[in-house]
Amino acid sequence: MSAGDPLWYKDAVIYQIHVKTFFDSDGDGVGDFKGLSSKLDYLEALGVNTLWLLPTFPSPFRDDGYDIADYYSIHPMYGTMEDFTSFLGAAHARGLRVVTELVLNHTSDKHPWFQEARNSRDSPRRDWYVWSDTDDRYRGVRIIFLDTETSNWAWDPVSKQYYWHRFFSHQPDLNYDNPAVREEMWRVMQFWAGLGVDGFRVDAVPYLVEREGTTCEGMPETHEVIRYLRAQLDAHFPGRMLLAEANQVPELVRPYFGDGDEFHMAFHFPLMTRMFMAIRLEDRGPLTDIVRRTPILPDTCQWAVFLRNHDELTLEMVTPEEREFMYDEYASDPVARLNLGIRRRLAPLLDGDRRRIELMNGLLMSLPGSPIVYYGDEIGMGDNVYLGDRNGVRTPMQWSGGWNGGFSSADPEQLAFAMISNPVYGYQAVNVLAQERTHHSLLNWMRRLIRVRRSTRVFSRGTIALLDPPNQRVLAYVRTFEKEQVLVVNNLSGTVQAVELDLSSLAGAIPVEMFGQSLFPRIGSQPYFLTLGPHAFYWFRLRRL
Amino acid sequence: MADESLLSDDLLRQLVALGHVDVLVGIPTLNNATTVVDVVRAAQAGLGKYFPRARSVIFNADSGSDDGTPVLVRDATTDDTGTVTASRPLRTTQRITTPYHGLPGKGSAMRMIFAVADLLSADAIVALDPDVTSVTPEWISALVRPVREGQADLVAPLYSRAAVDGPLVTQLVRPLVRAAYGWRVQEPLMGEFGCSRRFVAHCLERSWGTGVIPDGVDLWMSGEALANGFRPGQAALGPRLLAHARKPPGLPDVFQQVMDAVCSCLELHAGYWLSRGPAEPVPCYGTLPGAVELGPRPDVTRMAESFARDVSALNPVLATILSAPTLAGVTAAAATRPLVYPDELWAATVFEFLLAYHRAVMTREHVTQTLLPLYLGRTASFLLQHGSSGPAVVHDALESLGLAFEQAKPQAAAQWKKA
Repeated sequence: MSAGDPLWYKDAVIYQIHVKTFFDSDGDGVGDFKGLSSKLDYLEALGVNTLWLLPTFPSPFRDDGYDIADYYSIHPMYGTMEDFTSFLGAAHARGLRVVTELVLNHTSDKHPWFQEARNSRDSPRRDWYVWSDTDDRYRGVRIIFLDTETSNWAWDPVSKQYYWHRFFSHQPDLNYDNPAVREEMWRVMQFWAGLGVDGFRVDAVPYLVEREGTTCEGMPETHEVIRYLRAQLDAHFPGRMLLAEANQVPELVRPYFGDGDEFHMAFHFPLMTRMFMAIRLEDRGPLTDIVRRTPILPDTCQWAVFLRNHDELTLEMVTPEEREFMYDEYASDPVARLNLGIRRRLAPLLDGDRRRIELMNGLLMSLPGSPIVYYGDEIGMGDNVYLGDRNGVRTPMQWSGGWNGGFSSADPEQLAFAMISNPVYGYQAVNVLAQERTHHSLLNWMRRLIRVRRSTRVFSRGTIALLDPPNQRVLAYVRTFEKEQVLVVNNLSGTVQAVELDLSSLAGAIPVEMFGQSLFPRIGSQPYFLTLGPHAFYWFRLRRL
Repeated sequence: MADESLLSDDLLRQLVALGHVDVLVGIPTLNNATTVVDVVRAAQAGLGKYFPRARSVIFNADSGSDDGTPVLVRDATTDDTGTVTASRPLRTTQRITTPYHGLPGKGSAMRMIFAVADLLSADAIVALDPDVTSVTPEWISALVRPVREGQADLVAPLYSRAAVDGPLVTQLVRPLVRAAYGWRVQEPLMGEFGCSRRFVAHCLERSWGTGVIPDGVDLWMSGEALANGFRPGQAALGPRLLAHARKPPGLPDVFQQVMDAVCSCLELHAGYWLSRGPAEPVPCYGTLPGAVELGPRPDVTRMAESFARDVSALNPVLATILSAPTLAGVTAAAATRPLVYPDELWAATVFEFLLAYHRAVMTREHVTQTLLPLYLGRTASFLLQHGSSGPAVVHDALESLGLAFEQAKPQAAAQWKKA
């Protein structure tokens, strides 16, 4: 799969999978690679072309696998290395690329590296982590997991020093001032890239290097590390991709692309938040604002855009008023709130409103960037906020209305996470099997949406020009790539809207609605008048014949 | 239902784009270029600060300004720090400015504002005077919140007034409206106000073409609310400072306009007020800051001399309007030094003039012109007694005046009915 277009990630439609909860092939209650392999036909039919897997490394699972204890193997509960390579080959055979996790910033405290480091101050591993006799270095650096941590330092009773951690205290940060750490991580990348992995989603990028008197985020030395790893990857594995997780405003994420010599992709977090804000406010302001503020990227780079993922819906980059609004609208039950965010899936966030779910996916697929669909959101799965941490959005995939929703033949009590079983979002009501049999199901609608999205490169590679119609409830833009143009018109409100669009610069074009191929009147010099149903959206290919 | 003939196609196009709003701030203008920008900024800041989640619009109905007022309204901006996380209203505050046609004056402008508010299904409507220089974002909150919280359909303003300020309101309109309508509204001549969609719809159903409306729309709206069961409220706004764009009319003209409006409203609402009992308090929201004198002190000596001179000169005319005891009292007051025009005598005077207006014993203009010197005498009397008093004393004195009007009302109502 490494051959072909080196910019493949720009045309990617990514599907994010938690192997643990996707499909259990051996009845032990935990999803595995054999199970995932058996569902590749489903993913191919959905229309996605890239799979992003959450961590599957050996781990004590105090952070659902992001606390890695061995970077060079697969946790036995997910299968063997052979199972993994078999899956990889099967995915590639279907034209599906595979992106895995690369947790650079920290390890589990159970990782042998940390065990060696804490057990002897003379160990060569000692300097692989960040130690201090006091807990007053890097004062003022923010604590990310506010709900669980009170300091970025934790006392190690074994070696009688504090160690630095930006996330949970059981996740000590690696010391990237030590060249040996950087080399080791390059070896990790070589290992997986050598097996055929197409890209790495790099976790917690901004925090690699610490410097006194700073926020310890996005240090120049962090960029040096990234440039080094990128250069090595390009030299040895051309065509592989690096995707950055940097939960920051786009202006601050931009440096992680460098001059096209750092990351190929990065998540656009604020775009996600503002999509949710705009649809509740029924006002395009939050979206047009963030689109306008989004910097232009080097030609070889791309944003990764998403609606939901395995984490909480972050509210870090909004004003206090906006955060209160989002909590009131999307998490009126405080148990749904976590850190500075909301731990809900897409469908419950949108009250199960099919129109709003469709509109949000329509925005996701038509705004600039490569879209990511979180597993289960294509069928409107619900969540369980009572599972603790972010596990409520990581419940098993609902394949059918049968035993354990078709996920596993294990006893229900044995499952990694309990199935969603309430009458609204439970597997009896929301599942793949039922939706595959219904032409107008959300699943089949998503398949059509992705097919239309992938029918042109205008969405994946085109520029965006925002229109400014007087009706603030309507968001309209023109995507252009080479000679192709698509007009996108979205009604953000729950009521019928009329809108006049100034399309005089497109005069002469004939709009063809892309889902039904319906012709619309030719665009002239006068304002173009459209009416849109509640939460409706149109994609018009503009033809000049 | 709104009279859609008011709305031009261009305006309608803008309204279609706007859709339903939660809050509409209406600003009627005519050549207010020197002050209107600050009013718009205060409105925008108030909406952003206190109603960040609301769908809101600032709607300017302009009566044909030739000083660029509409452009200034459209382009007025609040400061924007320009960062992604800067505090700002969550929704876009829209602005529409449009000319209106028809009779010039606030009545026509307010009719258009109400029609637009009705068409946009605005939940709360605020009207601001474009000449006011003391408007703050807090005014928006004070006028809107009681409406949005369902506590009031009409929120009248409460201004901080010193004893010498606004005597036409404090000595005449306020006590008369209080006694007649049975509500202790402090500022029936609402310069600014907030109201509900229900009240707007009611007003649009009523005739805006009567003689009351062009110059007395504020008082007419107060009367409509009080006479038709709409819940009144009062919002503490603070001092009201004006910078008139044009030279304001003189006292005789203002007095004439106000008296015409008061008398016309009482004619219109006679079915209500004649049977209305003692006045009830009106809920107040917020606390007023202390008052400072806003204008120059009137020449009380000259007012008293004018009063004495005119009472003597107008005695034959007064005799056709006033009862013998009242005329005797007025004549005695005019002869007294220092001048004392008691509350009870003033209340009787006003009601008897009201009856004369109602009976049309002479031209109505003549009736109101005849009351003017007596009003000056009463004002002079009040200022002589309380011009230097503290706020509490002034408050008590005005409360006594209100009670005197309430006590005089039953007899006046009986005579009105006989007429």
